[in-house]
Amino acid sequence: MKRKKRAQWLAFALFRLLGVLVVALLIWILGFIVYQGIGVISWEFLTTGPTEGMTGGGIYPAIVGTLCLVVGSLVISFPLGVMAGIYTQEYAKKGKLVQFIRLMTNNLAGIPSIVMGLFGMTLFVNTLGFGDSILAGSLTLSLLVLPIIIRTTEEALASVPYAFRVGSYALGATKLQTIARVVLPQALPNIMTGLVLSVGRVSGETAPILFTVAAYFLPQLPTSILDPVMALPYHLYVLVTSGTDLEATRPMAYGTALVLIVLVLIVNLLAHGVRNRLGRKVKMN
Amino acid sequence: MIKAESIDFYYGEYHALKNISMQMEPNTVTALIGPSGCGKSTFLRLFNRMNDLIEGTRLEGKCWVDGVDIYDKSVDVDELRKRVGMVFQKPTPFPKSIFENVAYGLRVNGIKDKKFIAQRVEESLRGAALWDEVKDKLKKSAYELSGGQQQRLCIARSLAISPSVLLMDEPASALDPISTSKIEELIYSLKEHYTIVIVTHNMQQASRVSDKTGFFMLGELIEYNDTKKIFLNPAMEETQNYITGRFG
Repeated sequence: MKRKKRAQWLAFALFRLLGVLVVALLIWILGFIVYQGIGVISWEFLTTGPTEGMTGGGIYPAIVGTLCLVVGSLVISFPLGVMAGIYTQEYAKKGKLVQFIRLMTNNLAGIPSIVMGLFGMTLFVNTLGFGDSILAGSLTLSLLVLPIIIRTTEEALASVPYAFRVGSYALGATKLQTIARVVLPQALPNIMTGLVLSVGRVSGETAPILFTVAAYFLPQLPTSILDPVMALPYHLYVLVTSGTDLEATRPMAYGTALVLIVLVLIVNLLAHGVRNRLGRKVKMN
Repeated sequence: MIKAESIDFYYGEYHALKNISMQMEPNTVTALIGPSGCGKSTFLRLFNRMNDLIEGTRLEGKCWVDGVDIYDKSVDVDELRKRVGMVFQKPTPFPKSIFENVAYGLRVNGIKDKKFIAQRVEESLRGAALWDEVKDKLKKSAYELSGGQQQRLCIARSLAISPSVLLMDEPASALDPISTSKIEELIYSLKEHYTIVIVTHNMQQASRVSDKTGFFMLGELIEYNDTKKIFLNPAMEETQNYITGRFG
């Protein structure tokens, strides 16, 4: 008896320690970036383009570029992924085809993002002739997050109790009506989780945009989706590796990292807000 | 009126219903009783084609609802389910407001007239003896109701689309005694307008609410007669054994 108790105490203590360690690590990373980057953050840094061979000025075009890519890729991948998820979870007969689609979805998720970038360059930039553009970059990033959205959609749909569907069918509702009016509203808060994950992924990826959209130095803002843009992660990479004066640009690199993290945080909080409101509506409505 | 003729039903290889013929009259309550796994719920689900949702099933024989052969190719299943309402064992209100739960069947059937919907919702809630309890909180979530109220809400939901038949699959088995007696009173009053078929494990319930009773065992209809006759003077020995609790 005593030994069992002691083992339990030891196990819990270990778990607690590891849990605290993870949080501490996260706080350390964030704290480090805030500490290093906060010095360069100013209104000017956020609202002007880079100057003096990127040793001065701000990162405004990169912020705008990253926002364009986040919006662009989600506009493409969210409807596509949700519809694919609805198909595999609700419509397709459970069998070889669905298994194959699932396998391929997982494989898609496993493709290294630099390979995805290469593919995007070949297909979207060259073959389809979009050039280095927001469109090509968004499409490439879409491929990257599509599996996340499909999977979370499937899981969200699967967690809706079967009894709701049966109850709906028994009232003469068609399958489409049942999905649209009962199942989807119920699953939407969880589907939003996929969106949140995707935002983080899209705004942080560097490799897929390297050959498809990102500009090394482009102080003016895009005027159409066929224009290239600067983007925060790539700009960060440039500042760290290939500036004209690396020592001088180091604080700007941390500043860029800080802005990127805060941006992801804000978009995540927004998505969470939407998610919670939807959740409340589902309960209330 | 609903009728089954020479029904054989299979789940894969399993022969769940064996040559069952049975006719249920309008404005009566017919109870289906029998031990678990005897096929009574399967039989009930034939009449709104809920068994269609289960893969690998097969049906032989014919079913009629109001003179229509419901397994005929020309039959629209969604249309059939509008005429044959169903209440399930566990109350399954949708995660919507009380009002929207009852309005759901009307909305999916393309009715948009707000006045009509509001009127139908009230009639249905009155019909299910729930109106007085919920009239001041129609916009509240259905989950704020008690289990018994939720079940009556599900009955109201079925009534809203004006079915002619109501199928009830152990509608009170998940409820406390007071809620159960309310549901039983409700069933008794509803038969004035509907053909009601109820599956129940509760023998007292069958004898209290039903006019006719069918006893099922191992996929066969052993005996079907007036409820009084079944409970006081059954013709078959198996029926006698079951209702006196000697097995099952």
